[in-house]
Amino acid sequence: MTFRYLSSLSITLAALLLSACASTQVADTCSVSLKSNLAYSMRMAESKLSTGCEYSLDNYLDQLLDIAANNPDSDNRRQFSDFLVRISDQGVISKRQAKSTYNRYFNVKFVSLTGEYNTCSQTCPVKSRVLADMQSELLDKELGLVQASQDSASYYRADHLLKEVQLVLEATCRACESETL
Amino acid sequence: MKTRSKFITTCFSAALVTSLMATTAAAKPTGPVMRLFPTTVLEDIRETSEVAEEMENNIQDVITRLDLQQQLFVESQCAGADEDPGCERIAKQLGATYLEMLGIMTAKLPDMERAVSNTRNSLEKRLRVELGQNSTPTSLQDALLGTVSNIKTEKDPIALRGRSGVRLSDRFKEYYDLVATRQNGANQSLAVIASDIYLDMDEASHLIAATQEEIGRATLMEQLNQSFGQITPEMTEVVNGVKSILFGETPGDAPIASAPLLAEEMPFVSPLEF
Repeated sequence: MTFRYLSSLSITLAALLLSACASTQVADTCSVSLKSNLAYSMRMAESKLSTGCEYSLDNYLDQLLDIAANNPDSDNRRQFSDFLVRISDQGVISKRQAKSTYNRYFNVKFVSLTGEYNTCSQTCPVKSRVLADMQSELLDKELGLVQASQDSASYYRADHLLKEVQLVLEATCRACESETL
Repeated sequence: MKTRSKFITTCFSAALVTSLMATTAAAKPTGPVMRLFPTTVLEDIRETSEVAEEMENNIQDVITRLDLQQQLFVESQCAGADEDPGCERIAKQLGATYLEMLGIMTAKLPDMERAVSNTRNSLEKRLRVELGQNSTPTSLQDALLGTVSNIKTEKDPIALRGRSGVRLSDRFKEYYDLVATRQNGANQSLAVIASDIYLDMDEASHLIAATQEEIGRATLMEQLNQSFGQITPEMTEVVNGVKSILFGETPGDAPIASAPLLAEEMPFVSPLEF
């Protein structure tokens, strides 16, 4: 009885110690507060990403965008492009992910409205969701284009494009539906 | 004044067709080649414009008379004064004018319905085929952006009217202006114009159908009321419906375009851009 009690206690203690070690190690390695200039922070993030912290990419990106927004410069867009190309070359993210991330923040075009099937079959059945996603993407474009890159003109083009898409999709999807009625 | 207005409208109708044809032909093939305004669609638009103008001209005088008679009725404090012979006379005149309006509507609405329906159906088919079936979301965006990209050189943003209440024939003049003034820059996508006209016509079709349903009943009711000389709520409702279809009573929608800023220099182009 005593033996069984002691053995189960030691197993539990060992498991607790192991998990504590593991979480402490991860927190220490990947958790970083990027606060200095953008180029330096990007290099630091790259270094972290190449040493097993890929899953912290979203966190690093948020911090980098925050730094860029606090230090607006038309060159920030290029810096982000280069950063994403480098980490994609390193295999941290795929080319598709790099494109998607860059275009979401720094391009007039909407990542939320892409696809290779026709509009009737791909977009119309989920029109409301697509438009909601585009609206949310416009907020990211405000961060990337206006706040980080000081490029209001491109942001207004994106805003105008969204409104045109709303009108055209409303008409097109109504026309698509009429065929099925 | 009327002759001048007719002349302008006739000129505009001809110019509309010519300009739409020219714009369609001159449109740069930046995205997928779209045939949204083939000759048949242009012909339908032109015909709708003519029918709308004819109906407006026929009904304008009657509506003006109705408004004046109603104003006289109200100002004479005739509401509830059933025994007053003067008020009874005004009410009967009002009812007769109302019946006259219903008669014009009965005669002209089928033409209007047919013209609007033809335009809607032909545009519906073009939108379905060109934008719905032959375009992907990516190419649709490319086509729209091909025109949006030119905005930065414009001093005035494009103001799309949307489906606001303005004269039906004036709506077509707005489409004409939209196309005619953009021939060189072609800033306004034909896809946007086609969508705008289609949604407009779809809404008008429903309003016309609803009004037609009411006219028979309203005529019968008023014929009965003639002997009593009353102004019924139905009269006001039908007159307001006619006004909203033909002349527009609601303020226009806000332009969908935000004010674009002038671009200072060629922006950085990332290799990641799609």
